[in-house]
Amino acid sequence: MAASNERSAANIVHSLPKRYGAIGARSRHPKRVLVRVENVSKQYRLDDQLVPALNSVNLNIEQGVFMAVAGPSGSGKSTLLNLIGCIDTPTSGHIFIGDQDVSSESPDQLAPLRARTIGFIFQTFNLLPVLSAEENIEYPLLQFKELSAAERQRRVRRYLEVVGLSDFAHHRPNQLSGGQRQRVAIARALVVHPKIILEDEPTANLDHKTGGRILRLMRRINRQTGTTFVFSTHDQRVIDMAIRRVDLEDGEIVRLGVRVGKEWVYAMERVIDSAADSEEDDA
Amino acid sequence: MLKLAFRNILRQRARTGLTLAAIALGVASLVLSGGFVEDILVQLREATIRSQLGHLQIYKRGQFASGGHHPYDFLIESPETIDRAVDAVPGVVARAARVSFSGLISNGRGELPILGEGIEPEPEARIGSAISMLAGRRLAAGDSFGVMVGEGLAHALKLKLGDSVNLVLATREGAMNTLDFKLVGVFRSLSKEYDARAVRIPLRAAQELTATSGVNAIVVLLAATNQTARARADLETRLPPGYEVKTWQELADFYNSTAALYERQFGVLQVIILVMVLLSVANSVNMTLHERTPEFGIMRSLGRTGRDVFRLAVLETALLGAIGAAIGVAVGAVLAAVISAIGIPMPPPPNSESGFTAAIQIVPTILAAAFAVGLLGSIGAALLPARHLARTPVAEALRRGV
Repeated sequence: MAASNERSAANIVHSLPKRYGAIGARSRHPKRVLVRVENVSKQYRLDDQLVPALNSVNLNIEQGVFMAVAGPSGSGKSTLLNLIGCIDTPTSGHIFIGDQDVSSESPDQLAPLRARTIGFIFQTFNLLPVLSAEENIEYPLLQFKELSAAERQRRVRRYLEVVGLSDFAHHRPNQLSGGQRQRVAIARALVVHPKIILEDEPTANLDHKTGGRILRLMRRINRQTGTTFVFSTHDQRVIDMAIRRVDLEDGEIVRLGVRVGKEWVYAMERVIDSAADSEEDDA
Repeated sequence: MLKLAFRNILRQRARTGLTLAAIALGVASLVLSGGFVEDILVQLREATIRSQLGHLQIYKRGQFASGGHHPYDFLIESPETIDRAVDAVPGVVARAARVSFSGLISNGRGELPILGEGIEPEPEARIGSAISMLAGRRLAAGDSFGVMVGEGLAHALKLKLGDSVNLVLATREGAMNTLDFKLVGVFRSLSKEYDARAVRIPLRAAQELTATSGVNAIVVLLAATNQTARARADLETRLPPGYEVKTWQELADFYNSTAALYERQFGVLQVIILVMVLLSVANSVNMTLHERTPEFGIMRSLGRTGRDVFRLAVLETALLGAIGAAIGVAVGAVLAAVISAIGIPMPPPPNSESGFTAAIQIVPTILAAAFAVGLLGSIGAALLPARHLARTPVAEALRRGV
């Protein structure tokens, strides 16, 4: 039993078992686009003022990428992730998850989509404090009526093992370290077999060593399962662990990058595009 | 979901404890005040029944509607048939015939108008067990021309035991008739008003005085008050036509208005306590739910809807309410038992001369109502903050946590 668990931990294959070759190679042969962000703007109303958070953002996220959304705080990283994660709606523009336009639907209407397609990981871990690690991981599965209790338990155990917390199944979040909590959050995100995992500053509350371990764990899962990862960060060391990067500044995408070895290769088309757009607007 | 709700309310023990205490206090005070009012009403009811009215009274049809102004027109001439019908009804403890008359009493010093009753001493003593004797004794079977008078009347005429008094009244045919009686007792009933004019003499003497052979009413005492409605229905099927049955409740104006007054007061008290529970629970629930906004944001980011979140928040508070209300009911019942064992000395009720000792009754309907107030008050308090939670945009809810 223990041996088979170890094997499954080392070789995680679930309902999205597509494997990809080297990510660098994939960038030259684009895979299916999972998320399309088309001309999306978002403004917040703060008291009586409208505060722009995102401005005409266009972005395609292909299936299986390991992507960092980089930028200083206030650049719109979290807003972009929230919009893709269907917990916020854009002021204008469209967002497609798969083929579904999610930009016009309310967060409640999108709850089932969030439940099955999207996994969230947050800077503050955001575990439910009264549930044990095991129960936190099980929580999103409770709404899947098609899963039996036994099947739920099996999945929970598997992902506890994937994140290396089998011995901490019954610990409450406040009995776990920051790194352990974030591992629980990762397992909770993975357990529904989502197509994409969105992470808002996943390592900001962790020390560098722990953060690095968490990122390597996510990268391994990304490689083995083909699950798409998009995480926001302002930490250069974290950015350098990504395979792709999207740089945001003041609500606009300023450059896109692909990592080749240790070097970043930038594509500036978006910037040129938007510059051209604004020139047209001015004319 | 239930498990989650339970753990959530157990998380902040101090605050949960305070909220529970507020709910329990409100519920317990409802149990106590409700039980107290109930006890007063029960005592008043029993005193009313057992001093004058009995549980049921049987008249010739029409007497009650006439307001007792023409007692001679509605005489029951053959009470034996009625007696047989009454005796066949299960639960009957005693029955007594009464003749009513009005007239004057004089003792040489003064004259006063009276409301007189001719009574059968033995059964009447059982029916009127709540009548207390201030001096002398009740009428007995052997007293052919004895009289007992109410406290107020004795006081007004300065009557002493053994005094001879003279009753004057008009007979059925309109002739004046008079008889002398010897005072054997002074009594106090529940009603001061009644005691100021009441005169009781033996039934035979009353019939002689009024020159009639019938009776005006047959008063029935049952073993327990809650048998009244059934006994009345039973009796009505057995009575020959031309008679009607009234229950104590139809006759007890004073009881009815007192009960209505108390119940109104108790209703106001209930509303006040409901509002109190609502406010104190609303305060703590509001704080708790507000602090946990990010938590509910997480749930929704994991695919739960606003409705799910609303339900969890309301369920948690409903649990609190149910537990608090249960504690309140238990505490209230125990306190009620303790206080009842000690007794609450009460001043005389309005229109009455004697004080009494109140207790606190433990009544299932009051316990249930108090529980419901605690539970519904808590749920009511949760609705608004829970709705607010469900409507907070997910992204904003999550941001609050940072």
